[in-house]
Amino acid sequence: MDNRSALSRWLINLVGFSVLLFLCLPIAIVIPMSFSSADTLAFPPPSLSLRWYHSFFDDPRWIEAARTSLLVAFASSTIAVLFGSAAAYGLVRGTFRGRRVLEANFLAPIIVPQVITALALYIYLAKFGLLGTLGGLIIGHTILGLPYVVLLMMVAIRSFDVRIEQAALSLGASWQEMFRRVLIPNLMPSLLAAWIFAFIISFDEVIVTIFLSGAHETIPKKMFNELVLRVNPTITAIATLLIGFTVITMGLAAWLAKRGGVAAFAR
Amino acid sequence: MTELASAIPRDNERRGLRLPGGLLQVTPAAVFILLLFNIPLLLMLSWSVGTGDEPLKYFAALARGSVYMKVLGNTIYIALLTTLACCILGYPLAYWMWSLSPRRQMLVLALVVLTFWISILVRTYSWIVVLGNDGVVNRVLRWLGITETSVPFLYNQFGVIVGTTNVLLPFLVLPLFAAMLKLDRRLLQAAESMGASQATIFFRIFLPLTIPALAAGSILVFILTLGFFITPAILGGGRVPMIANMLDLLINRMPRWETAAAISTVLLVLTLLFYAAYQWIEKKSRI
Repeated sequence: MDNRSALSRWLINLVGFSVLLFLCLPIAIVIPMSFSSADTLAFPPPSLSLRWYHSFFDDPRWIEAARTSLLVAFASSTIAVLFGSAAAYGLVRGTFRGRRVLEANFLAPIIVPQVITALALYIYLAKFGLLGTLGGLIIGHTILGLPYVVLLMMVAIRSFDVRIEQAALSLGASWQEMFRRVLIPNLMPSLLAAWIFAFIISFDEVIVTIFLSGAHETIPKKMFNELVLRVNPTITAIATLLIGFTVITMGLAAWLAKRGGVAAFAR
Repeated sequence: MTELASAIPRDNERRGLRLPGGLLQVTPAAVFILLLFNIPLLLMLSWSVGTGDEPLKYFAALARGSVYMKVLGNTIYIALLTTLACCILGYPLAYWMWSLSPRRQMLVLALVVLTFWISILVRTYSWIVVLGNDGVVNRVLRWLGITETSVPFLYNQFGVIVGTTNVLLPFLVLPLFAAMLKLDRRLLQAAESMGASQATIFFRIFLPLTIPALAAGSILVFILTLGFFITPAILGGGRVPMIANMLDLLINRMPRWETAAAISTVLLVLTLLFYAAYQWIEKKSRI
């Protein structure tokens, strides 16, 4: 009896660990690959070098793509946080009818396949001549980031005691003062976390970008186009930079979200 | 004190919110999503409806066109296999995580969440290094003398399913693990104290109580695979067409917007149906 349960315990450990390994394998492989000196994707790398990092930083097209990515991510996440956090406040504290329907509408871009959102916006923006403009691309990314901001901020606002707001108002603060001096400072960590989430979503986005961006290149779009054509080891360097970027920003966001009282928020 | 508390809401009302509370704050986002998401989506749906006496002609063309039905069937097939693979791999992983000590649990959870947030592009790309003709797996197989030539893991359905499973596994594991954590451990202790074996406890208590969460996660994975684009494009090498890739072709290569709109409508209806099922199961699993 004891032998059997020890065996099953051992088996669970083995299977669980193997699946975890499968999950992490792509990340574990791509990082050492990026420091390879070889022209091919041989693993393990024959010797180490930084040539693929040079080939990224010395290529003006990659740098231009990085600038577009950063600009679009910055603009779209900022708009998403401005609109989304206000909407979250209205949904949580509001009393108007149809809040649940509106909430579902805000979250719909998560459920609707991204390729459909991309296609619908493609046809729509083409009508207004916004197809292929940075503005159109920013609009597309804002729509994808907005639901996550609404979700996270609704949790944050729910966990903020409404009586603190009421106390401020009853002590003579105006609405604007209450927002500026009580609510926003208290929600700041969550707001920053929501901003980072929206930023990462935009920064990694491929599908909507392929449909809407026209001649503009972002890092993921350029990566995708190169990957479909041929195997270019420069991508390993970019992938490693992206992993580092994600680890740092998501660590920061998780820390901020925790400080803001939003526990274990996951995409 | 109670007097004060009841006085405060009235005080708020007196301060003169002319609109019902909260409406002012939701307006910008609501206008934004209405103008730039709802209306475009409705317009696209209207594109799929033909004019004149044959309103469903594009859908009829879809049903007749063997290519479209083949891609649709292929997509559903891949989505089913991916869902199955995620269940088979995801359940043991979630169970293992649940059985770990709190400190190890945190570490493993952090790793799973991390993979969740790493760019899909990066996670897909790595499989070329792992499974390619000159990749890690093939080199090990050759070194062991199992095969002489490279095994073609990539640019076929197998490669696509490995990629989608890898990307979507956290979507199943994270909610499943959360459901396991919520499970009342006293139920298991009670069974144990009454002499049930570990296998009995697992199959008669633990598994039935976590099946709804597994079902909900499976539907989520299924829906997400239906709309997948990046992984089939990179790991399928154009040989494993899925709906999203076909849409890209129809819009960006050979402008046939009406056909694309009709396909999108089908995909959207499928997604919403399965999402309704997901919501229903998710609600049940919480009770």
